[in-house]
Amino acid sequence: MIEKGTKCVKQKRKKGSIDIPFLTIMLVMLIFGLIMVFSASAPSAFYQEGDKLYYIKRQLIFSAIGFVAMFVTMRMDLRIIKQFSGVLCIISFALLLLVLVIGSSGGGAQRWLAIGPIRFQPSELAKFALIFYFAKRISEQPKNTIQNFTRGLLPYIGIIGAFVGVMILQDHLSGAVVIFISSMIVLLAGGANLLHFAVMGGIGVVALIPAALLESYRFKRLLAFWDPFADKLGDGYQIIQGLYAIASGGLFGLGLGQSRQKFLYIPEAHNDYIYAIICEELGFVGALAVAILFLLLVTRGIYIAIHAPNTFTRLSVFGVISVIGLQYIVNVGVVTASIPNTGMQLPFFSAGGSSLIFIMAAMGVVLNVSQYISTGGKKAAEKEKAL
Amino acid sequence: MAKPKVNMKKRIIFLYGVFVVLIVALVIRTGYLQFISGGKLKREAIEQQTRDSIVSSSRGTIYDRNYKVLAQSASTNMVCVVPVTIRKNGNAEEISKALSEILEIEYDTVYKKTQKNSYYEIVKRRVETDKADKIRALNLEGIRLDDDTKRYYPNGSLAAHVIGFTGDDNQGLGGIEKVYDHVLGGVAGRIISAKSADGSDMPYEYEQYMDPVQGSDIVLTIDETIQHFTEKHLETAVAETQVQAGAAAIVMNPKTGEILAMATKPDYDLNQPMTLTDEAVLASLEGMSEEEYNKAYTEQLYKLWRNKAVVDTYEPGSTFKTIVASMALEENVVQLNDSFVCNGSKTVSGINISCANRLGHGVQTFVKGVHNSCNPVFMEVGERIGVQKFREYYKSFGFGATTGFELPGEAEGIFFAEGQMKALELATSSFGQGFNVTPLQMITAVSAIANGGYLMKPYIVKQINDENGNVTKVTEPTVVRQVISSETSRTMCSILEGVVSEGGGKNAYIKGYRLAGKTGTSEKQPRGCGKYVASFIGFAPADDPQLVCIVILDDPIGEYYGSMIAAPVVGRIMEDSLRYLGVERQYSAEEEAETNVSVPNVVGLTMEKAQETLVGAGLKYHLEGEATGEIKKQTPRAGTAVRSGAICTLYTDENVEEKKVVVPDVVALPLADVNTILANSGLNFMISGVGKHDAQGILRSVRQEPAAGTEVSEGTVVNVEFRFASSD
Repeated sequence: MIEKGTKCVKQKRKKGSIDIPFLTIMLVMLIFGLIMVFSASAPSAFYQEGDKLYYIKRQLIFSAIGFVAMFVTMRMDLRIIKQFSGVLCIISFALLLLVLVIGSSGGGAQRWLAIGPIRFQPSELAKFALIFYFAKRISEQPKNTIQNFTRGLLPYIGIIGAFVGVMILQDHLSGAVVIFISSMIVLLAGGANLLHFAVMGGIGVVALIPAALLESYRFKRLLAFWDPFADKLGDGYQIIQGLYAIASGGLFGLGLGQSRQKFLYIPEAHNDYIYAIICEELGFVGALAVAILFLLLVTRGIYIAIHAPNTFTRLSVFGVISVIGLQYIVNVGVVTASIPNTGMQLPFFSAGGSSLIFIMAAMGVVLNVSQYISTGGKKAAEKEKAL
Repeated sequence: MAKPKVNMKKRIIFLYGVFVVLIVALVIRTGYLQFISGGKLKREAIEQQTRDSIVSSSRGTIYDRNYKVLAQSASTNMVCVVPVTIRKNGNAEEISKALSEILEIEYDTVYKKTQKNSYYEIVKRRVETDKADKIRALNLEGIRLDDDTKRYYPNGSLAAHVIGFTGDDNQGLGGIEKVYDHVLGGVAGRIISAKSADGSDMPYEYEQYMDPVQGSDIVLTIDETIQHFTEKHLETAVAETQVQAGAAAIVMNPKTGEILAMATKPDYDLNQPMTLTDEAVLASLEGMSEEEYNKAYTEQLYKLWRNKAVVDTYEPGSTFKTIVASMALEENVVQLNDSFVCNGSKTVSGINISCANRLGHGVQTFVKGVHNSCNPVFMEVGERIGVQKFREYYKSFGFGATTGFELPGEAEGIFFAEGQMKALELATSSFGQGFNVTPLQMITAVSAIANGGYLMKPYIVKQINDENGNVTKVTEPTVVRQVISSETSRTMCSILEGVVSEGGGKNAYIKGYRLAGKTGTSEKQPRGCGKYVASFIGFAPADDPQLVCIVILDDPIGEYYGSMIAAPVVGRIMEDSLRYLGVERQYSAEEEAETNVSVPNVVGLTMEKAQETLVGAGLKYHLEGEATGEIKKQTPRAGTAVRSGAICTLYTDENVEEKKVVVPDVVALPLADVNTILANSGLNFMISGVGKHDAQGILRSVRQEPAAGTEVSEGTVVNVEFRFASSD
């Protein structure tokens, strides 16, 4: 094992154990998430599926699969990920195109691929594939290539444009936003020229506006965000029901399992809106706990990224952590009616198969990298510099 | 290599900072929603999550003083639809069709309710069990049957204006039902439970149950039997006199102020209070536009619901002389034997006011003046009392203010304002004209005269019992004040007894019960309209009054003197009621002499024996056939009441046909003529309507039974009703 590990990393870095704090935080979030999925899903599982355990059973299975995936990526030679990241990008892009042709739709958008009983969202794979591929490209290019607009930045932008374009065709705006922002963040961290970036970023945002306005249901959702109470039973319904749940919580909440809003008031209570149920049952204290867990995970993830042995691993870890942080921000932003309503899952908390599996696989990568970080403060840094 | 690496770390840390700021911002945003703007959202959330169901309390029963049920609630069914379920099942048409057929309501009405965005909609309340069973048998999801109650009034219209009725939601809308709505109705309970978005109950947690407070029972002072007598006799009088503005009667216990009976006619069936049944009234509404019709219909209903005995005022006329006489005696401004002269009129302030007897009563004592109801005597008496004292007593007797009676809408009456009352007003007031009082005020005041001088507060609620039968409130008799001395009271009782036995109130006379009273007839405003209010107020027995009774007949057609039409009604009510109460008759010697006898049985006796028996009973006989053998038949039959001296026809041969005679017409004749005509026809007769027939005054027959022309057996008793012809 040690031999294999040493072999896979370019630097002559000693392999340590995986980062226990990061793993602990992630496990706490996963268990917390499972408890909340059970609580939030029980009523709709009972009323709609006839079995209160319907969603939690599925979620447990997905978690188990997720653990296997995590274990694989954690033990995998990181070089393989690096090598195949390009292929992964092509596969996920192909799958995204496939969705356009044969995908099943949900919520006005067409974004799923059904494999047997499991529905699979290719965008979940795409966002990580893109991060790994960008990390690879940046790490392999001569220094400062990315600072050059045409030779450096433009190819990346082209790739992002292709992915985002396909996803907009799928009406998968939220996915496009996450892919766009997370890959942009990777480029930013990877040394992109800030001026280029500002210009490109500006153009990207401007491009999103007509995309949002193009589809009437999306435009309506946008309006609903400004004033959800204008159409209480229509577009504003889900937002309002979520706000009701949050407001009902108060400081300590109604108690675990005591949510009332989960009784069919909030559509997707166990999924996109699980944060509202957490706020209702556990109050501000629960919301704060969730935020602290995410902050801890992001902080520890950034710590791992900063101490990662090379550019590829650093940007990969940073990209994965960005996705987690970004999804928290978008999800909580939507549920608290702080940003326009769009379907976004809360990592580790929302019930949903493919999302959890890919996130855990990505966590495996972070843990994998964490084995190679320098452990000893200044001395280690000096040592690193010397190498 | 070093430079971009450092650059990359800086950028990562910067971007990390952005994440931290955004995450903290969202925590603050969450806190803002929970603590700052949370109140309103939370209330709205609770509103949508909870269902507040009403648990109706059962309405208490209204009893008469002997616990006979006057109003009672019984359980029925309420038919509801559950729109959520119906939408899910998509069977709105089926349900609407079934319900509209069974409940006999419009299909569209039901259909609209199934489409409402609510948890349940009431389709029909108070659905009888048979229909509810039919609906239950349909076994359709989306229809709900809930418990409901219906108010039943077992006696229909009896004491309608006292009891009142309830509306659709069991709320009291009139009478005791209205005034004691909170007592009878109790407090509805509530179940607050959590509901899911689809309207079903949440499987657990908060359910708050607030017990309903069951309604209490109310026991009235009303005696159903006396009420029944009162209404029966009042109804007969209403039919006979064809009153145009209704009639009212009250029976009161003068010693306590308890109302034993209170009736207003015409009345209505409490089980259908919203329905007009009087054909004349309905005919008057015909041909109106729908709007006009509805308005007029409602007006007529309101008119029908008015409790005339309490709400309406009238000019008491001569009945008020009882009050004026009491004032005069109490103030000692007149002696019983003071002599007055009546020339048929008296001039006051230049205006000539006539007596009912235009020819004048001549010289008479004060007592005779009361018996004759002589206006000039009372004008003179009023003058002696003076405006100031008159007004004081008026107030003291309870006039000009409500009595504090429980039933709604009590009127105060109308009287001259301070300073408006001059000699002329005093003069007319002395014989009861020029001001208005309510029947209730009048009977309360006369009760004070009858009971030793105490003005009692009238009341109708005897006690309140809670759902378990525990007494929670008992009304005790309340003395408001002593108005006159017991001596004046005793004197007045004896004078007023004389009014009935010798004066203008003879038509109220009941044999054996010493009835005291006073007649009254007042002309309605405007004067000269030819409309009158006839009334009589009386109490008995005069030496120890047990009951006071007032009868008001408003705007009769034809005969309008209170003495002629109201007095007999009071007499009949009093006779039935006193007998019912077990008050013993005290016959005077004179009355003993004219006591009726029951015909003894002589069939099967020998002629000799029969003769002995009949003569012993004070009867005469007439034999058809041979005077041998046993008596085979007799007319009148054994047990028939006849006047002493009546003639029995006896038959010794069973096969002999009873001798038939045709009943002659004896209506509108003096007593002597009736006697002669019937005797010549071989018929016996009984006097009714007046208890006394040898006193002064002219008796005229007003009715006979059997009717003229009927063929009857010889010796049959013809019942003839008489009246004393007199003014007040």
